[in-house]
Amino acid sequence: MQEYKQIQITKEEIVPTALRMRHDGRRLVMIYGFYQTDGQLRVSWDYAVDPAVESYYVVGEGSVPSVAEIYDEAARWPELELYELMGIDFEGLDTSKRLFLPENLLETQGKGQILVTPLAELVDKRDELLGEKKEASEE
Amino acid sequence: MSYIVPIGPYHPALEEPIHAKLYTEGEVIKDAEVFVGYNHRGIEKLCTERNAIQTLVLVERVCGICSHSHALTYAMAVEGVNGIQTPKRGDYIRVITAELERLHSHMLWAGIAFHIIGHDSMFMHTWDVREKIMDALEALSGNRVNYSMVTIGGAKRDISDELRRDILAKLDKFEPELARITDIALNDKTIAMRTQGVGVMTTEDAIRMGANGPHARASNVDIDIRRDSPYCSYGDFEFSVPVWPSCDVFARVVVRLLECVESIKILRQALENLPEGPINLGKKIPKIAEGQCVARHEAPRGGLSYLVVGNGSQFNHRVSIHVPSFKNTPTVAHMLRGNTVADAGLIIASIDPCFSCLDR
Repeated sequence: MQEYKQIQITKEEIVPTALRMRHDGRRLVMIYGFYQTDGQLRVSWDYAVDPAVESYYVVGEGSVPSVAEIYDEAARWPELELYELMGIDFEGLDTSKRLFLPENLLETQGKGQILVTPLAELVDKRDELLGEKKEASEE
Repeated sequence: MSYIVPIGPYHPALEEPIHAKLYTEGEVIKDAEVFVGYNHRGIEKLCTERNAIQTLVLVERVCGICSHSHALTYAMAVEGVNGIQTPKRGDYIRVITAELERLHSHMLWAGIAFHIIGHDSMFMHTWDVREKIMDALEALSGNRVNYSMVTIGGAKRDISDELRRDILAKLDKFEPELARITDIALNDKTIAMRTQGVGVMTTEDAIRMGANGPHARASNVDIDIRRDSPYCSYGDFEFSVPVWPSCDVFARVVVRLLECVESIKILRQALENLPEGPINLGKKIPKIAEGQCVARHEAPRGGLSYLVVGNGSQFNHRVSIHVPSFKNTPTVAHMLRGNTVADAGLIIASIDPCFSCLDR
């Protein structure tokens, strides 16, 4: 079984931790985001400190600093993904281009809802949107 | 003259949809942008509506090539949350399937690479040889893809002594054919002219941009999760991690072919020393304990990671899937710069992209 260490940090410690890891030659495995069972948002920066994964996480912060200046594309894409699909703001991240969502959904119905809204509600929303499109085409 | 040349989302050189915009000066690419998301199916979201066994079936369909890798890594993450230790025989069967999957994936990619550079006799030869591995996978699991060999707590199906000998015999036939393909790839002038010095990504850039798997190893980055963070008894096997210093498309061909040799070494060790004992811990649908775990597996294309969050029920609270193509695709724009439009399809394909995996 692979070792997985979890270390809680503050928002102010995110960038110094990334700088330390980059300096030590550690790879950024991924940036994860999810709502805990108590409803609090948790964002974690997981680094490969072989043979373990060290997961540095903050809880309850909807806006966190970007580490894309430190980890380049290895951080930029995960940050864009969490911005689009969970609505987490990464301070300093260029969000002018979309990653997964179609352009017409990014700033309207889609952003920040895909991984947060219950599936049944997403299905209703899709049907509603498709219904509107169908009505428009019939007209 | 300056042009913007669009490639994709649907293009003959690509098996899956991606869109690249090439900003050119004559034939030379001055800048490039890459757009993904044409295959987004919301699989992470669907995982939250399923129990662990149903999720295994779902995640195996994230990708048609590395399906076992997805099921394996998800199972490892659930086992990590629950603190489950899998039986040794189950581990070995997981490794055997994973390495056969790596062989067929690398041979598939090599064939496509040869086809893109116009060497169709090598394409047909490579895919013909690959069929021996596909036969072995079919004999093992009953399927050419979606093997369903993994369950939470071990392997789903056992390997009989007869099947074990049969796979070893297939490897005996496969190995000299692989050696011949490797020899041609290393020495053929046409392959060298089309791939050497094309799509260069330096070691420093590969580390900075987070490239992984064979793509990083072809840029002389010595990483491999099987060796650096052993799992599923990978620590029991002796194998090398090939790296290559030329950092170009040629290096990506060579590294993958050399990795096939190492996979055969692992397969022989696993098949010849298959331990006795149970293959799994039973057939109950497990509850996923409250907590989270990240599991990593060296899939054919590189490091695959799964985060699984449990809430004490049989259902996933959150599953986050991150595939090697998610880390390698951002390097494509960088590699395209300074190359010609004619090489763009080859450079995109050289990372062995899987947009089905990437988009999920």
